[in-house]
Amino acid sequence: MKNRFHLFSLICATLVLLLSSSSGALASDLAPFTGQQGSLRIAGGTAHISVMKEAAKQIIQSNPKIQISIAGGGSGLGIKQAGEGLIDIGNSGRKATDEEISKYDLKLFKWAIDGVGVVVHPENSVKGLSSVQLQDIYVGKISNWQELGGADRQINLYTRDEASGTREVFWKKGLNKGDISAKANVVVSNGAMKTAVAGDPFAIGYISVGHMDQSVTPLALDGVLPNLDTVRSGEYRVSRGLYSLSKGEPSGLAKLFLDFILSPSGQQIVAENGFIPVR
Amino acid sequence: MIRRLIEGSLILFSWAAGLLLTLAFLTLVGFLLQKGGTSLGVNLIFGDTAPLDALLLRQQVFDGLFPAIIGTLLLIAGSMLIAIPLGIAAGIYMAEYCRGRVKTFFSLLFDILAGVPSIIVGLAGLSLTIFLHRSFSAQISTSLLISCLSLALLVLPYLIRTTQTALESIDPLIRMTAPALGASRLQNIIRVLLPNSISEIGSGIILATGRCAEDTAVIMLTGAVASAGLPRSIFSQYEALPFYIYYISSQYSGPDELRRGFGAAILLILLCAGLLLTALWMQRRLKTILLYR
Amino acid sequence: MDRPHSFTEYIFLTAAVCSGLLTAAVFLFLLIFSLPLLQNGELTDLLLSSWAPDKGMYGIYPMLMASLTLACLSLVISFPLSLGCSFVISALAPARLRRFLLSMVRLMTGIPTVVYSFAALFLLVPFMRNILGHGSGMSILTAAPVLALLIAPTMIIFFVGSFEKVPLSATLAVDALGGNPIQKLLYVMIPQAWPGIINGVLLGFGRAMGDTMISLMLAGNSVSAFNSLSQSARSLTAHIALVMAFDFDSMEFKSIFVCGLLLYIFTAILMLLLRMSTLCLSGKR
Repeated sequence: MKNRFHLFSLICATLVLLLSSSSGALASDLAPFTGQQGSLRIAGGTAHISVMKEAAKQIIQSNPKIQISIAGGGSGLGIKQAGEGLIDIGNSGRKATDEEISKYDLKLFKWAIDGVGVVVHPENSVKGLSSVQLQDIYVGKISNWQELGGADRQINLYTRDEASGTREVFWKKGLNKGDISAKANVVVSNGAMKTAVAGDPFAIGYISVGHMDQSVTPLALDGVLPNLDTVRSGEYRVSRGLYSLSKGEPSGLAKLFLDFILSPSGQQIVAENGFIPVR
Repeated sequence: MIRRLIEGSLILFSWAAGLLLTLAFLTLVGFLLQKGGTSLGVNLIFGDTAPLDALLLRQQVFDGLFPAIIGTLLLIAGSMLIAIPLGIAAGIYMAEYCRGRVKTFFSLLFDILAGVPSIIVGLAGLSLTIFLHRSFSAQISTSLLISCLSLALLVLPYLIRTTQTALESIDPLIRMTAPALGASRLQNIIRVLLPNSISEIGSGIILATGRCAEDTAVIMLTGAVASAGLPRSIFSQYEALPFYIYYISSQYSGPDELRRGFGAAILLILLCAGLLLTALWMQRRLKTILLYR
Repeated sequence: MDRPHSFTEYIFLTAAVCSGLLTAAVFLFLLIFSLPLLQNGELTDLLLSSWAPDKGMYGIYPMLMASLTLACLSLVISFPLSLGCSFVISALAPARLRRFLLSMVRLMTGIPTVVYSFAALFLLVPFMRNILGHGSGMSILTAAPVLALLIAPTMIIFFVGSFEKVPLSATLAVDALGGNPIQKLLYVMIPQAWPGIINGVLLGFGRAMGDTMISLMLAGNSVSAFNSLSQSARSLTAHIALVMAFDFDSMEFKSIFVCGLLLYIFTAILMLLLRMSTLCLSGKR
């Protein structure tokens, strides 16, 4: 009995060690923050929030004098507000256009690669689509699951708001710039999309691969399932970079923060949140 | 005979309506309590930070409602600080000095302000921010201060109206006594009229506080964010309970966050209900306590 | 008005003028930001076309319709309920139940709308999805009952208040004639109290038009013009909340100020109506 208890506590201790080492940052990556203080404003892409929050947590725990505020709002907002100088770092799930870059003198930092995959409710019997089918679904031409081999129920379309980088990438690469029916339900974040699809047995939506979990089922597009491997290899083509951007060369805390995201610790956070690190 | 029938069915319908409304209300609240009841606890507020460290501001709280609660309290304090003096002074003017057409005009203005949807007030706050940002300093952006100003504007008409009606409803006998004894108008207001209407004004203030605590549309346009920790100054962005609930409803990533959302909803209900009950109690009791001690 | 004669009076005057100016300032801000759109004479375009920024269309017709439909529908649900409930409170219930109901109604006025919508999101939305058999469960039909619940206490308090103002002599006369409570209500109180009832309805309608969170979280936010109540729709207020995410110079951003302006003017008209109904009815008495 006593032996077993020892074994148990040993396992526990190992687990704790493993867990803490996997989520804790290397001290050297956080070292530049010592002695710094002030506040940093971040806003934009909703896919980025989980990574930003974790990075902020590690930075602030090492130096409580720094304040970091993180807001969503979508990639469009991230680019525009960073350009206007309302925030220090804007997040964007799409590459800023050349016009935006030159207008605002933006500097882009790509710190992760992410795919945008089509998802349905786990109970849905449909497992894959061709890109033509996907376009037809989103334009409203195919409106019943039966036409795809599923139940005789109407397809509930979900899409994102116009500020969304996920929408932009999905529209460009997934729908080949096909129309999205105005009847689609509009949700405002990747999390909201996942929630909506997970709660609606006849839904179809699209989310960042990093946000996928067992509550939704990804659909294969032209025979390729969206997951980390297929996105990394380039086999799954609806993919994008996750960017952070600043107006002009970043300085002060903004520079330190971006350096941290690109450091080994930062890239580990990226991987833990289901994205593909760039380094 | 037909009359009887109409009367009878009306009675039946009325009872059914009352019952339905009660049931609908209790179902919603009961659902929240059932879902979020288990999440209530120290952990909900402080996450994995030690409460003492958090309260002494030694450590920032992650995964807890502490920053959102503090944010909401700061919002209340800030906006009431701006709105109370302005509202009461304007209310006194309306009740004691203003007469005739001017009074009609002003009260129409305040009625409109009271009826303006809160998102419009938020939009006005946002445009003020953009205006300041463009014309004065690039440093200015949405912040606690802007939110407080906007919320103050939102509750201002309530404060003016309660002060005005409280003063106007004072018994003429009380109103005339001090001037008859040689008191000036100002002395009469400060020494007699205000103390006499303190319970109405007080409960008006508390109701306005409740409005500040619950409003989401204003703060979502003027500076509330998903994660900010405690605000450092009035120029930083902040978290707040109602915005947190909205944010969780659309972005929650798992059952843990969802439970925190329900917890936040219960806390906000408790805060608002508490304020409301205090206001009702004040209306009934405070007068007797203050006047007959 | 006599001339202000003391320093303190100037202070009070300043406070009132400031507050009045703020009301005007809100209007001016909305007007200035939406002026570029109004000057081009695009107002009718804006009001009558639909929203498709990709194609350069910034019309708010669908949102306007959604707001009006939502407000009307919630009023249709809420008005009979509130009237019935106020009958119970003012005439039918025994004193103790009356006090309980009144405090519950007062408590309901204090419940944050975001909390209502949060609970309804997890309770009513799945339910509606099952009932309708299609769609996401977020629709006008989902948001309207919650809005109805939101505006009910406003109306009930107004109704009960105006029943209480019915002169005691009239109600006592009914009692003396041996009338029962419902007769008293039907033939004496309602005819006397209907100005209050109208005002309550106007205020309830205003609240329903102005609420943001319920339609934002429960109505589905789709930008198309809806042709059935079970479809998702986006109200003017939700539209403002959703589009603010944009570029300050863009047409999208300017067009939400037109939405704001519309809502403001709507409120002003509503308040004028309220004022007029109160005035002419009290004049008649």
